[in-house]
Amino acid sequence: MTAASIEVAGLTKSFGGRRPAVYDLTFRYEGSGAIGYLGPNGAGKTTTLKLLVGLLRPTSGQARLNDLDPVADRKHALASVGAVIETPEPYDTMTVYEALETVGALRGLDPDGIDSEIDRCHEVLELPALAARCGGLSKGERQRVVLAAALMGDPTVLLLDEPTDGLDPAERVLVRNLLTRLKKDHLILMSSHLMGDITEVCDHLIFLRQGTIVLRDSVAAVAARITQRQLDVEFAQVVPVAALVAIAPVVQQVAALTDRRFRLTFDGSLEGRTQILDGCRRLAPLLRFTDATLVLEDAYLDVIASSPGE
Amino acid sequence: MGQGPSRRELSDFEQWRIVTRSQLAHYVRTYRFLGLIGFVALISGFDLGFQIHAGVAIVQQEQLHKVSEYLSNFLDNTGLWVVLAAAFFGGDALSVDFSTGSGYFMLVQPVRRGSLLAGRYTAATLVTLAIVGVYYAFGLIGSAYFFGAAAVPWVDVGLSLGLGVLFSLAALSVAFTISAFFKSPSAGVLVTILAVYVGFFTLQQVVELAGYEPFWSLTYAGGAMAAILDTDFVHIQAVPLGEDQYYTIWSASAVEGGIIMAVYLLVFLPLSVVLYHQKESQ
Repeated sequence: MTAASIEVAGLTKSFGGRRPAVYDLTFRYEGSGAIGYLGPNGAGKTTTLKLLVGLLRPTSGQARLNDLDPVADRKHALASVGAVIETPEPYDTMTVYEALETVGALRGLDPDGIDSEIDRCHEVLELPALAARCGGLSKGERQRVVLAAALMGDPTVLLLDEPTDGLDPAERVLVRNLLTRLKKDHLILMSSHLMGDITEVCDHLIFLRQGTIVLRDSVAAVAARITQRQLDVEFAQVVPVAALVAIAPVVQQVAALTDRRFRLTFDGSLEGRTQILDGCRRLAPLLRFTDATLVLEDAYLDVIASSPGE
Repeated sequence: MGQGPSRRELSDFEQWRIVTRSQLAHYVRTYRFLGLIGFVALISGFDLGFQIHAGVAIVQQEQLHKVSEYLSNFLDNTGLWVVLAAAFFGGDALSVDFSTGSGYFMLVQPVRRGSLLAGRYTAATLVTLAIVGVYYAFGLIGSAYFFGAAAVPWVDVGLSLGLGVLFSLAALSVAFTISAFFKSPSAGVLVTILAVYVGFFTLQQVVELAGYEPFWSLTYAGGAMAAILDTDFVHIQAVPLGEDQYYTIWSASAVEGGIIMAVYLLVFLPLSVVLYHQKESQ
């Protein structure tokens, strides 16, 4: 059995004469782990996922799952893939059990296997009552059923488009924890606007803008890129922002987190760091002087801002 | 999670069965199925009730004392019910996967699109035949009541039902094909009714007025389902309109009707399969 893999090579998709929704995307991941797929609305995230499962046909290039083409051989390419794309909805007339049973049966589970998989999903996702009709479920309940359907049969590859969309904070934590466990022996590609989910779950990031990849790296490398240029400082007393701006010429920006805690952006150099430390010491007693913790929104905005536009 | 549960690769036939079962379970719980089958039962029940109220003697006299005449007249609306059922269950068959969330649930499963479509087509055929079956049941009850069970021409009824199956398959193939061209499921349903029933029927009348046989019309072919029960079947009737003027009415024989239905099935079913394979999500 080959290792789980997600691959796109020169993948391009155009709709009519418009600018391609995705253009010349190339990446390959295999084995296990979680990849965050990020980008503004319209960047091409969902289009990529649709191309990966064969809901769309590439204009050029190729998408492959577990080394199989989902357009030419969808039955085998999707055999070990669980996908949540857009807003899937089981038929509203079906019960939760029937919806999951159908998926389990189509994936080749026997009746006992289906029941034990439904039990497993019921436990890890706290599913609504199995006899409940899907049409009567809340958005969060339906999303958990859809996630359970993606997990039926324990596929090795998971493609998740906004998997925590519609979930309340407790449900989001539940799903995040599940994905964090799953990524140890599954390969997960997930898009999300909720940076907290991505930071917590993912090991790698792909930033997409206007259909092209503008950055692809590990979360640690992206964190270093951002945190190297930001410092968190905390004083023992209240300090005016204007005073901090003036402590050293290398300070580019000061963000007040509280009236005693600040985040300073600078050029990332060692001299700059030393100048800022000296300046802070002269200003007021220091309680903390550390690299900023990664806030993915900052990384996101930084990458998007620094990538070429139209 | 650890090692996954044991799974085996299913054949396309097995997956077709699973899809059919699931789709059928869905269809029979929809309001459109319950509404249509209830409506057919209600109309047929009223029809039969009025006849029983009129009395056996009057009904026998009206139907020329022939059970075949009675059945043929009673089941004259079979085409309408089939077209309505085909529109309800086929008019959105292809568009529903690409315009609602249900497609994102089913189309990401490891199933060939052909198996999905075949399952949906089979389920739609079964619910259409269930509706037709209710209609026929009332006709048969009436036949037995007014003419005695022994008089019921079971062979002809069986042949008529066989044509009903063929007509259902043909009408559903047309509805499936039409649904491929619409984003909105309800638009597909509406256009199927307009095209297959109103459109064909109107064109058929115009063509007949012009003196030609509407051999290309599916609704014309549908008339064979009732015609096969009529022992006094006439293929061409000339209705006088005035001095030296006649309006010609054609009725499809069982063979002609069956051939027309088969042609529709053979053209539109493969077409719908091709269109479904070509469709992409938005």
